Amino acid sequence: MTKIGLTRRHLLALGGAGAAAGLMRPAPLFAQTPVTLQLSWLHSVQFAGSYIAQEQGLWADEGLEVALTPGGPNAPVEPPVVAGQALVGISAADYTAAAVENGAPFKIILVAMQKNPFTIASLPGNPVREPADLVGKRIGMALANTPVLQALCTLNGVPIEEIEIVPTQYSAAPLLAGEVDCLLCWLTDLPVAMAIQGVDSVTMLMADYGYAVHSQTYIATEDSLANRRNELVGLIRGEVEGWNAYRQDTDAAAALTVAKFPDAGLDIETQRLQAELQVPLMFSDLTEQHGFGWWTDETVEANVETLALLGRQVTPDLWDRSILEEVHGS
Amino acid sequence: MIDATLARLTASGRLGSVNGILLVFAGWELSARALSGAFLLASPTEVLAYLAQNPGLMGRALAATLAEAAAGFVIGNLAAMALALIVILTPRLERTIAALALLVFCLPLVATGPILRVLFGPGVGPQVTLAALAVYYTTFVPLLVGLRAAPATWFDVIRSYGRGRWTELVQVRAAAALPYLVAGLQIAAPAAILGAMVGEFTGAERGLGVLTIRAMRGLDVPGTWSLATLAAGVSVAAYAGVGWIGRQLSSGPPPVILAAPVSPGGAVGPRRVAGGFAHLALIAVLVLALWTGLMDLFGLNPFFAKRPDDVWRFLVTAPQAAEHRATLFWALAETMAVTLPGYFAGLALGALIAAAIVLVPPIAAVAMPVAVALRSVPIVTTAPLIILLLGRGALGTITLVAVMIFFPTFVACLHGLRQAPGQVIDVFDSYASSRLQRLMLAQVPAMLPAFFAAARMAVPAAILAATVVEWLATGIGVGSLMALSASLSDYGMLWSAVAVVSLTACTLYAGVARLERAVLAVYASEQFA
Repeated sequence: MTKIGLTRRHLLALGGAGAAAGLMRPAPLFAQTPVTLQLSWLHSVQFAGSYIAQEQGLWADEGLEVALTPGGPNAPVEPPVVAGQALVGISAADYTAAAVENGAPFKIILVAMQKNPFTIASLPGNPVREPADLVGKRIGMALANTPVLQALCTLNGVPIEEIEIVPTQYSAAPLLAGEVDCLLCWLTDLPVAMAIQGVDSVTMLMADYGYAVHSQTYIATEDSLANRRNELVGLIRGEVEGWNAYRQDTDAAAALTVAKFPDAGLDIETQRLQAELQVPLMFSDLTEQHGFGWWTDETVEANVETLALLGRQVTPDLWDRSILEEVHGS
Repeated sequence: MIDATLARLTASGRLGSVNGILLVFAGWELSARALSGAFLLASPTEVLAYLAQNPGLMGRALAATLAEAAAGFVIGNLAAMALALIVILTPRLERTIAALALLVFCLPLVATGPILRVLFGPGVGPQVTLAALAVYYTTFVPLLVGLRAAPATWFDVIRSYGRGRWTELVQVRAAAALPYLVAGLQIAAPAAILGAMVGEFTGAERGLGVLTIRAMRGLDVPGTWSLATLAAGVSVAAYAGVGWIGRQLSSGPPPVILAAPVSPGGAVGPRRVAGGFAHLALIAVLVLALWTGLMDLFGLNPFFAKRPDDVWRFLVTAPQAAEHRATLFWALAETMAVTLPGYFAGLALGALIAAAIVLVPPIAAVAMPVAVALRSVPIVTTAPLIILLLGRGALGTITLVAVMIFFPTFVACLHGLRQAPGQVIDVFDSYASSRLQRLMLAQVPAMLPAFFAAARMAVPAAILAATVVEWLATGIGVGSLMALSASLSDYGMLWSAVAVVSLTACTLYAGVARLERAVLAVYASEQFA
C-alpha cells in the first residue's frame, strides 16, 4: 500500500514537473540565432532575471539562443564585447566610461541597477551611518576605489585626509578581525555574507548620499546597435520580462538560481537575502512608470556629474535608449 | 643482518613521517583554535566535517580542476621536454629558445587570462593553458641541466664509436637527466593545480578556483579551507607519486663527473661582448615580431591587445608619457622592494633546509610534510591569513614570496645534494669524515648546478608571487596596477606593465645566470661543454 502511494505521488510529481517544463520551454518554431551575454561576475542571483528569461523560454520566443557566460576576478567584460564574442556585456557606467575613453565604441542600452550598490559597511559597535561618521575611521578597500571614496567625500563635504585607507582584499574578514572599522563594498555581497554568518552590520548606501552611478548596465557596440538591432531588441525584451518575473517572487528566483548551477556552490539563504536586497536598487518609481531598465535625462545628468568627480568626462550620448524604447513600445 | 637494519631504518623513517604529519595537523588545529572568530582559518576537524557534508559539490569541483591541471601538466611538460631536446640537439638555438621560454613564463596572468578567454571562448581552454604555462619552465630548466650532467669521457666513448648527438642523448643524457626531470615534475604538480585554479578566475563555470572565490567572499571559512585542503592533498599525492615513479626508474648512485674548469674570462673578450649584443638585438627583434605577429594572426582587437608600437607611444611619445612612466615605475619599485628580499630569503631557506636534512636526516620526517604542505596550499587561500598574521606592510608579502620560492629551491637542492657521486662519498666514508665535511666538500659542489637552476627559475616565480599577492591582498605595486588597468580598460598601461615586468625578470635572470657561469665554471664545467 505504502509503496503504491509513494509511487503514485512520485509519478504525479514527475508528471507535474513535466507539464511545468512543457509550459516553461516551448519548442522553438524556427531556427535560433546564437548570441552571448557576458555576465560581470560568477553565476548568482545577481543575474537571476537572465536565468528566468532563459528557463521560461522568453528568448526562444524571440528566436534567440542566449549563452550566459560567467565573469570572475580576472575576466573583464569589455574585451569579449569589443571582440564580438559577446553581443552584450554587463558593466557599470564608470567602467564603461573608462572603456569609451580608451577607444571602445560602447553604448549603455539598459540600466539594471538604478542605484549604485556601493556601500560603507561597519559593525554596530562602531557604526558609519552617514558620511560624516567616516572621519577618523580606518576603511578597508581596494586602493583602486580611492576615486569612489573621494567622490563621496566631495559630495558630502567630508575631508578625505581624515579617513585612513587600508588596502585590503575584497572580504569582510579584515572588518571582523578588527583590522579596519568599515569596508567599501557592495550592499549585496559582504553584508549578506556577514548576515548569513550571524554578524549584524550597519550599511550606508552611497547612492543615498549623492553617489549617482548607474550599475549593472548592459553595453553593446555601436556596430551591433547599427547592424544587429533585432537581436538586441530580442535580448533586452527577454531581460525586461525576466526581471519583471524576478520581482514578483525573489525567493523563486533564488531557488531557480541555486538549482540551475549545482556546481557553483551557491547557498540558498545567501541567494534569497541577496535577491531581496537588490530589489530596491533595481526597481524604483521611475521603472514603475516607464519600465525596467529605464533612465531619464535627469538621471543621466546626475551620472555625468558624479562621473566627472571620478575623473571621467562623459556626455549623455553614452546612453542609447532606442532599444529600450522599442521594447517598452514608447 | 643488513636486511634487518634496513627494515628497521625504513620503519623508523615511516614512523618519523607519520609523526611529522601528525605534528602538521596538531599545529594546524591549535592555530585554528587560537584564531577562531577571526574568520580566517578553519581547523582540520571543521574541514573534515565540511567535506563529509558536501561530498558531491567538492567531488565535482575537484574532478573539474584536476582534469584541467592534468591536461596542463601533460601539455606543459611535453612542451618542456621538446624544448630541451631541441636545445640539446641544436645547441646553437639554446640562447634564443631559453630567452623566449623565459619571456613566455614571465607574462603576467592578469594580462594573459582575459586574452586566453577571448581566444578560447567558454570552456576549459584558459585553465589548461595557464596550468601548462605554470609548469613548462620549471621542467625545462632542470631538465636541461640534467641532460648535461654526464662525464665528458662518456661522450668521448660515444664519439669514438662514430655516433652522433642522438646516440649521446639516448645512451647517456637521458639517464643522467632522469633525476632532474623527476625533480621538475614534482615541482610541477602543485604548480599545475594552482595554475588551473587561477585560470578559473577568467570566467569558469566550475572548479576549486570558482568555489574558492565564492567561499572567501562569503566568509565561508570551513569551505575555503576544505578547498585548500583538497588542492593541497592532491598536490602532495602527485608529488609523492612522481617521486615514487622516479625512484623506481633510478639506477644507482650518479657517476663522477670530471670536467676541466672553463674560464669564464673567455666570455669577456670584445668580440664575445659584441656577439652578445648582436644576439640580444636578434632576440629583441624576434620577440617584437612574435608579439605583433601573433596578435595579428589571431585577429586580436587593438582595444585590448596592444602592440609594441602602442606601448612605445604610451610610454615614450604620448603627451602624458612622463606621467605614465612615473606611475608604472613607482609601482614596479614597490613590487621589487618586496620581491627581492622574499627571493633571497626563499633561496637561502630552501638551500639551508636541504643541507640540514643531509646533515641530520631525521629532520626530513618533519620538514618534508611541512614543506610540501606549505607549497601546496594555494597562495590564493593563504595570502589573507599570512597578511593578517604579519601585517599589511612589506613583511607579509615578503614571506609569501619566500614561501613560493622556497619549495622549488628546496626540492632542487635536495636532489642536487644527492647527486654527489657514490665513489666520492665512499672516499669520505673510508676516511671517517664528518657529515659536515662531506656536505661542504662533496655534496654542496654537486648541488650547485641544481641550486643555480632553481635560483634562475625562482626569478620569474618570485615576481609572479609578489604580483599575485598585490593583486589579491595588498592592493599596491605593479600587480594591483595591472588589475586596475584591466578593470578600467587602460590596456596601454597593462601592456606597458607586461613589457616592463617581463624585461625586469629577464634582466634579473641574466644577472643570476652570469653569477652561475662564474661559479659553475669552477665546480661543474660540464654544464658549458
